Amino acid sequence: MRDVVVVGGARTPNIRFNTLFKEIPAQELGRIALTEALYRAGVRPDQLDEVIFGCIGNPPEASNVGRVIALMAQVPERVPAFTVARNCASGMESIMEGTYRIACGDAEYVAAGGVESMSNIPLFFKRAAQDKFTALGMARTLGKRLGVMASFRPADFGPVIGLLQGLTDYNTKINMGQTAEILAKEFNTTRKEQDELAMLSHNRAEAATKRGRLLKEMAPVPLPPKFTQWAKEDNGIRNGQSMEALAKLKPAFDRRYGTVTAGNASQITDGACCLILTSSEKAKAEGLKVMGRIKGFTTAGLDPARMGLGPAYAIPKLMKRAGMAYKDVDLYEINEAFAAQFIACEKALDSETWCQANLGSGRFAAMDRAITNVNGSGIALGHPVGQTANRLILTLLHEMEERSLGMGMASLCVGGGQGAAMLVERR
Amino acid sequence: MGALSLEIRPDWVGVLWFDLPGEKVNKLSSPVMEELEATLDTVAKDGRIKGLVIASRKKDVFIAGADVNEIRGVTDEKAAFESARRAQLILHKIAQLSVPSVAAIDGVCLGGGLELSLACTYRIATDNPKTSLGLVEVKLGIIPGFGGTQRLPKVVGLQESLKMILNGSTVDGKKALRSGLVSACVPAGLLIEEAAALALKAAHSSAKGRPFKPKGAMNWVLEKTPFGRNLVFKKSREAVLKATKGQYPAPLAALEVIRKTHGMPVEQGLEIEARENAPLIVSDVSKNLIHLFFLMEGVKKATGVAGDTKALPVGRVGVLGAGVMGGGIAQLAADRGISVRMKDIKEEFLGKGLAEANRLFQAKVKRRRLKKHEAQFRLDRISPTLAYDGFGTLDVVIEAVVEKLPVKRQVLKEVESLTGGKVIFASNTSSLPITEIAAESAHPGQVVGMHFFNPVHRMPLVEVIRGKKTSDEAAATVYALAKAMGKVPVVCSDGPGFLVNRLLMPYMNEAAYLLLEGVPVEVVDKAMLAFGMPMGPVRLMDEVGLDVAYHVGTYLESCFKDRMKGAPLLKAISETKFLGKKGGAGFYFYDDKGKETGLNPELQNLLPSAKPAPPEGSLQERMVLPMINEASRLLAEGIVRTAGEVDLGMIMGTGFPPFRGGLLRYADTLGAARLAERLSALAQQVDSRFAPSPQILDLAKHNATFYGQEA
Repeated sequence: MRDVVVVGGARTPNIRFNTLFKEIPAQELGRIALTEALYRAGVRPDQLDEVIFGCIGNPPEASNVGRVIALMAQVPERVPAFTVARNCASGMESIMEGTYRIACGDAEYVAAGGVESMSNIPLFFKRAAQDKFTALGMARTLGKRLGVMASFRPADFGPVIGLLQGLTDYNTKINMGQTAEILAKEFNTTRKEQDELAMLSHNRAEAATKRGRLLKEMAPVPLPPKFTQWAKEDNGIRNGQSMEALAKLKPAFDRRYGTVTAGNASQITDGACCLILTSSEKAKAEGLKVMGRIKGFTTAGLDPARMGLGPAYAIPKLMKRAGMAYKDVDLYEINEAFAAQFIACEKALDSETWCQANLGSGRFAAMDRAITNVNGSGIALGHPVGQTANRLILTLLHEMEERSLGMGMASLCVGGGQGAAMLVERR
Repeated sequence: MGALSLEIRPDWVGVLWFDLPGEKVNKLSSPVMEELEATLDTVAKDGRIKGLVIASRKKDVFIAGADVNEIRGVTDEKAAFESARRAQLILHKIAQLSVPSVAAIDGVCLGGGLELSLACTYRIATDNPKTSLGLVEVKLGIIPGFGGTQRLPKVVGLQESLKMILNGSTVDGKKALRSGLVSACVPAGLLIEEAAALALKAAHSSAKGRPFKPKGAMNWVLEKTPFGRNLVFKKSREAVLKATKGQYPAPLAALEVIRKTHGMPVEQGLEIEARENAPLIVSDVSKNLIHLFFLMEGVKKATGVAGDTKALPVGRVGVLGAGVMGGGIAQLAADRGISVRMKDIKEEFLGKGLAEANRLFQAKVKRRRLKKHEAQFRLDRISPTLAYDGFGTLDVVIEAVVEKLPVKRQVLKEVESLTGGKVIFASNTSSLPITEIAAESAHPGQVVGMHFFNPVHRMPLVEVIRGKKTSDEAAATVYALAKAMGKVPVVCSDGPGFLVNRLLMPYMNEAAYLLLEGVPVEVVDKAMLAFGMPMGPVRLMDEVGLDVAYHVGTYLESCFKDRMKGAPLLKAISETKFLGKKGGAGFYFYDDKGKETGLNPELQNLLPSAKPAPPEGSLQERMVLPMINEASRLLAEGIVRTAGEVDLGMIMGTGFPPFRGGLLRYADTLGAARLAERLSALAQQVDSRFAPSPQILDLAKHNATFYGQEA
C-alpha cells in the first residue's frame, strides 16, 4: 500500500445560515473550494482521477453534487466524481475513499471535499399535499382540475422542514439537541461547564481570526452580483463572548431541566472545504509541497441516542490500531457539536468504569484542552455538517505546520450513532 | 476528380453530393458550376429519378458560397454581368427540373449556397449549431447575384428577406424553420432520409414548394398591399442609410432590385439582379471589402511565425491586474472556455474585475446570446486571488498591470520565480518595449507582447509583439491564443507604439493642431466621420483618455522627435482635471452610461476662437497623410512585414473604414507621386513634420505601390 498525502486544501469561510451565503448554492461553494484547493496544491484539474464530496443535504437541483462541483470547477468530463454521506463524517468519508483509491494504486490524484449549504436545505410538502399535486397534474379536464384544487386545505401548505428532519434520528425520533441533553444528564454536566467551553471556543476563534490565522486556510468569497463585499471571516464568532451573555440564553431542547442552549451548541452554517490527495511518491516526483500524510482512520458505531460519544469510541479504537497512546498525538481537533457532547467525551475517556464497560480497556486519558481545538471549533466556527471533517483536517494541518508538530488527530461525533477519527502526520 | 457525385437510391431518389476535393469547404466556383449543369442535365434526362436531394459530404459545411477569388478577379462590368447570368441560369435548371428537389443543409450555407438551396423546391436544415443560412453578399460589397434577391422574398416574405439581405445576417436551423426558409429542422443523422422522404412525398403530390404566407393582419398589410410594401421599403432604406452612412452602396442596390422586381416572374427579375450587380462587382468598395476578406482568411491560416513552430495548447491563463483591461481579458478568455486565475493586490480591485466580467456576461444574457446558467458557468471559470498560488500550472500569464516599466519587470520576476520560466509571459502593454520589459528576465524567450485594445470585448485587434529574444513558440502560442479568444492578431516587432498607437498618435496630434488653428471640434470630428472613421479624432482622444493620450504622445515624441512633436494643447489639458470619457468630461461631456452629451465649454476656452474652416477634403488630408507617412517608415523598419498587416491592424484596431480597404490600400489608390507632392506641399505650408518619408519618395520615383506584388 502506498502512503497518501495531502498536497493542498482550501475552504470557504464558515457563514451562519441564511446570511451572506444564502443565495449561493452548495455546488457553487464546493466549486470555489475545489478550484482554490487545486491552485494551492499546484495540481491541474485534468490531473485528477476522482472527485469525491461529502454532503448530507444534497441539493435537489444538483443530484450527485460532487459531480456537479467537478464540472463547474473545469475538471474534465472524463474524470468521474461522486458524493458520499455519513452524516457529520461525510467529509471525512470523502478523504477515506480517496485514500483507499490512492493507497491501492487506483488513482494518483483525488480531490476530497465536503460541502453544506444548510440555508438551502429545502422545505417539503406533506404526503397528503403531494398526492393532491400529483392528482392535479393528472387531471385532464377543467372540471377535474377544479375539483382537485378545491380539495386543498390550508394545512396542506404547512411545510415539512428538511433541516429539522435531517437533525432528527429516524429510529429513535430523538433530535440531536436531545441527544446532547441525555449526555449532559448522564455525565452530570452543568450549564456552567458547557458555557465555559462555549466561551473558550469563541475566544480562541476570535483570537485566531484577529491574527489572520484562519484566513490562511480560506478562499475569500466575493459576493455576487456586485463583488464589492467579500466573505473572508467565519461570521459566527461572537467577539468578546462572556459567561453573562451565554447565561441569558434559554435551554432549547428541554425547557424545564435542560442545559443545552443555542449558545453552547454548534451553529447551523454554510461552507465548503476541499483537500487534494496524492501518493507520497507522486508528490515527491512532481515537487509538490506535502502538508501531511494520512496515517490512519476509523469509524465506530454506538447508541444513536448517545451519538455525541462518537469520538470516545473512535479515538481509542484508532489509537489501538496505530499502537499509539493519547500522549503520542501533539494536537487534537474534536468537533464541538454540543458542549455537553464534547464534555461527555472528555469525562468518558477519563473514566475507568466507562472505558472498562464500553471499550473493554482501562482509562484512556485526561484530555488536555490546551492541545485541543486551539482555534475554536463547531460552537464558534459553525458546523456545516458535510464539510466539518475536511475543515478539521485542514485546520489541523495548518496548525501543525505553524507549531512544527508531527502528529495530529481529528475526530467527530456522527448523527445516527457513529464516531469517526483520523490521524495525520507531518515529517 | 470532380466535386459532384450523383447517387441513385433504391427508392429512385437521386442524391447529388457536393465534395470539393482538397478543400474544407464547398464553393460554387466556375468549374463546379459547369459540373453542376452537366449533372442537372443528366438528372433531367433520366426518366426514372423521382426526386433530387442536394447534400454535402463536408463536415459542418453545406456550401460556403461562390468563389470569392473569382469575384475578385472580375474587373469588367460586362464580364461581371455575363458570369452572373450564366450562374443564374445554371441554378435555374434546378427550379426547372420536372421532379421535386430538396436541399439537405447541414452546416454553413451562405451566399451562393443558399441561393442554390432557394432554387430547390424545398429546404431542410439540421439543428447542428454550426448550421447557418444567409445571403451575406453585401459584406463583400455586392448583392446576392445567383437569384437570391428574387427567390428569398417569395419564400420568407419581404420583411424577413430584407432583414437578411440588407444586413447580410444569418439564421440557424430553428430560426430558418420559424421564418419558413426551411420546411423542417431535423437532427443531422436523419437529414438525408427526411429529405428523401420529402422529395418522394412531393413527387406524389402536385405541391410546388411552400409559398410565403404572412402571419397576422399587420404582416398581411405590410406584405400584401402596395401601401404596406412601400412603408417597408421606406423604413428599410432609412435603416440602411443610418447604418452605412451612405458609404456602402450594396445594401441600397439590393433594396432597389427587390423593390423594382417585386411581383415579377423570376426569369425577368434575374436579369435585373445581374444588371444591377455588375457595377458593384467591379467597384472599388467591393474590391476593398474582398481585400479585407482575404486578409482575414490569411489570419485564419497563419501561425504568426515564419517556420513550422507549433503553438502550445492553452487551456489555463493567469491575468495579472483586474482593472477594466484585466477584467475584460479574463471575461473573454472565460467566455471561450479557458480557465482564468485573476490576480491583483487588493480584493477591491479583484471585485471590480469580476464585476466587469459579470457585466459583460449579463449583457450577453440580455441579448439572448447566452442562457443565464451558461453565463454563471463561464463566470465561474474566473478564480480571483491575491497570491500567486497555482501559477505554475498555467499555460500563459497575461499581465495588465499599470503601464510602468519597473512594475512590469517586478511582476515578470515574481512570475518567473514561481514558474521557473515554464509559463509564457504575455504583456498587455500599449507602449513599453517588450525587449525592455524582458531585459532582466532569465527566460526572455518566454516574454511576448499581447496588446488588446479597449474595450476588450469590442475591439477585434490584438498586437502580438516580439521582443528581440521572444521565441517562435511564445509568439505562435500567443498568436493562436488571440485567435482562440476570437481576436484578429497582427505580429509586430518591438518599437515605440508598435503598430496602431504609432499611427494613431500623429493622427490625433494633427487633430489637436487643427483645433489650435481655430478649426472647431465638431468640424474636425465630422470630417473624419465623413471619411468613414467610426468616431472623430477628438472624440477618440476622449475615449483613449486625455492623460493617456498626452502620456503616449510625450513618449513617442521622445522617440521620434520633431515629426511627432506634440501639439501644446494636450499638455495644457493635462494641467486641467479633464480626463476624457472615463472621467465624464473631456472635449465632450458624457453621462453615466458613457453616452456623449455635448461639448465641454471649459476646454473650448483653451482653443482660439473659431475661424472659417478649410474644406473637409483638406482636413481629411491633413489628418490621414501623416498616418500614411508614418506607416511607410514603420514598414521599412520591419515593425510589421506587409502592407496587408498595416491595413488589418488599422481596420481592426481603429475602425479605419473597411470600404477603403485599409490605410495603405487607400494610399495606393492615391498613388505615391501624389502623396509625395501633397506631403511636400504641407511641409512647406504648415510644418516640416509633414515632410514625406524617404520610402514614399522612393515609391514615387519608381512609380510603385505599397502593396507592390503583395496584392
